[in-house]
Amino acid sequence: MLKADVEVDRRDFTVRAAITVAPGERLALFGPSGAGKTTLLEAIAGLVLPRHGTIELAGRILTRTSKPRVAVPPWQRRVGLLRQDPGLFPHLSVRANLTYARTASHDGTRIVTGTETRTRVGARGGTGRREGAAGAELTEVADTLGIGSLLAAMPARLSGGQQHRAALARLLLAHCDALLLDEPYSGLDAALRRTLTALVVRLVTQRNVPAILVAHELADAQAFATQLAVIDHGQLLQTGPPDRVVLRPASVRVAELTGYLGFAAVPGQPGTIAGIHPDRVAAGGMPGRGLVLTGPVAASRPAGAGWEADILLPGAQPPGSTVTVRLAARPGPDGSEVTVTAIDAPVFGPDGRAVADSSAPGREDEARDDAAGEVAAREDRAREADRAHDPAFERIGEGNGR
Amino acid sequence: MPPRGRWRGSGPAVVPPGVRPVSAAASIAGAAVIWVALLGPVITLLTHLSGHAIASALTYPGALDPLVTSLEAGAVTLAVLFGVCTPLAWMLARGRLPFPRVWEAGVLCSLLLPPLVVGLLLAFMVGPYTAIGGLLGHLHLSATNTFLALVIAEVYESAPYYVVGAQAAFSAVDPRLEQQAELLGDRPRRVFRRVTLPLASPGLATALAIAWARAMGAFGAVIIIAYHPYGLPLQIYTTLDQTGLPTALPYALVLLVVALPLPLAAYVWSARAQGRRRG
Repeated sequence: MLKADVEVDRRDFTVRAAITVAPGERLALFGPSGAGKTTLLEAIAGLVLPRHGTIELAGRILTRTSKPRVAVPPWQRRVGLLRQDPGLFPHLSVRANLTYARTASHDGTRIVTGTETRTRVGARGGTGRREGAAGAELTEVADTLGIGSLLAAMPARLSGGQQHRAALARLLLAHCDALLLDEPYSGLDAALRRTLTALVVRLVTQRNVPAILVAHELADAQAFATQLAVIDHGQLLQTGPPDRVVLRPASVRVAELTGYLGFAAVPGQPGTIAGIHPDRVAAGGMPGRGLVLTGPVAASRPAGAGWEADILLPGAQPPGSTVTVRLAARPGPDGSEVTVTAIDAPVFGPDGRAVADSSAPGREDEARDDAAGEVAAREDRAREADRAHDPAFERIGEGNGR
Repeated sequence: MPPRGRWRGSGPAVVPPGVRPVSAAASIAGAAVIWVALLGPVITLLTHLSGHAIASALTYPGALDPLVTSLEAGAVTLAVLFGVCTPLAWMLARGRLPFPRVWEAGVLCSLLLPPLVVGLLLAFMVGPYTAIGGLLGHLHLSATNTFLALVIAEVYESAPYYVVGAQAAFSAVDPRLEQQAELLGDRPRRVFRRVTLPLASPGLATALAIAWARAMGAFGAVIIIAYHPYGLPLQIYTTLDQTGLPTALPYALVLLVVALPLPLAAYVWSARAQGRRRG
């Protein structure tokens, strides 16, 4: 279980966030560039010190600003961080990179888990059997990640994708208690990005560690996450399952960030506006399914397999702005009237916050109850997993048996 | 080579075909002239030396002493620079010092001082009647016309070159690699040994090589505070003064022979290290 509740000062603003990630769970921190996502990761990794707050990982307190103060240095945190630059050591072969953590100096870190206190056995001074086991693990991880044949190569020889695989393998072999991914694949092409994301998802599930991905592309965040946290200008705006956050944004700002490209006044509800997501629009008027919008086409262009049209709506917010929608068929020429239905559009009150929409009364409350129940269930699961699945536990047992 | 048709086009490229090879040849020839001119002194040295002259100069009783003195003082100087100035260069490169501009200006200041002035000021700083000189006297040491004085003079003449070079070498190491090594479990000191130092080593080697060449050739400060024991530069100077050019020339060759191999080796080694990284 990874818990962070921190305030970190940046030059221009303060990042305030409280997140909880259970083992095996994947949280995506999603927000625009410069929102403070990386700062939050760096605070968890111990690279920046929060002004205020607590960070806890697998029962260990890593950072606590209240007394007694705790600031575990990065080399004792057992937190893996992967950045856009894979950060392989250029002077070491791929094999030496992968085994770097095994030969690192972390020695006898005290670990407190619930009621138990145990000492992690230092990586140095292993017996031959342990060395053999480590070698087998190296081969296994390298083969899983498809870099088994590249171990003798120098990192500069590897392609971008291979370098990322090697960096990931290095983190896995370091047996980190948490995996932090800072937009690791944003420089790669879409297909490779999908492959690597799927690989990370599989490995995180297998290793049962908490993982956090920082993303500024919604699709990347959705492909990865079981929980989506939207962050903007240092503020955590909404956290929840990805589909719920996207379909039910808590505020206009979250809607803007999650791809709602226009807002329209809701007839009969003065002061409220509905978020129009270009992908959730059907051609034609279907009052039973959502908000029916009619207006002239201001511009249109091909987009993906369909067409994208900007529609000038009388009730658009701010007035005079257009609403962008995607249609399967090419709309009429500019200026021609078009009628579309924004299906199940989220509705926001004058304060910019979501309101329970009239079509499904009580839905918001329901969602809130769901969320609370889910958190409790997740924490239970996590506690259990902490006890049962921590691979370090097994290794400790082995070490003590010698 | 771009396609030939491009030259015939009506675009802005108006260089007619055939001019490019000519201009390329001309620029290579020009570069060769400059290169030979720069190497001129070395070439002259080689043309003016005879085997007999070298043999007679070097077999003269005590002729090899300056060489030994120079090598010893140079080695001690390098050890001092590496041990003392490497941490300083690292701190400068990583911005670990308050008011970094002040520190850098200090290093540059000693780089820009003429060696003779450095020697003069050193005499006032560590001479026998100064506080430091007195302190050394208590330890039965002297920084005037001793081996210690020679080392001090060489350190002052070569240190700024080393600090500037080493700082550049450390600056070229991505701090994120050091962070990564820490997150993988290494303490900062071990990170320095396993990541920072190996990555900076080609640059450090070059900086050390330059410092070595400066130390070997140190003359201005040396002649003022360490006239004795003779190192090679002073040997050349006094020989020139007493017996003339032809007898001084073999020592010049000896100086080149001891001053150059280390820089050349460092250059070759760092080029090979870069090559290894490329795989």
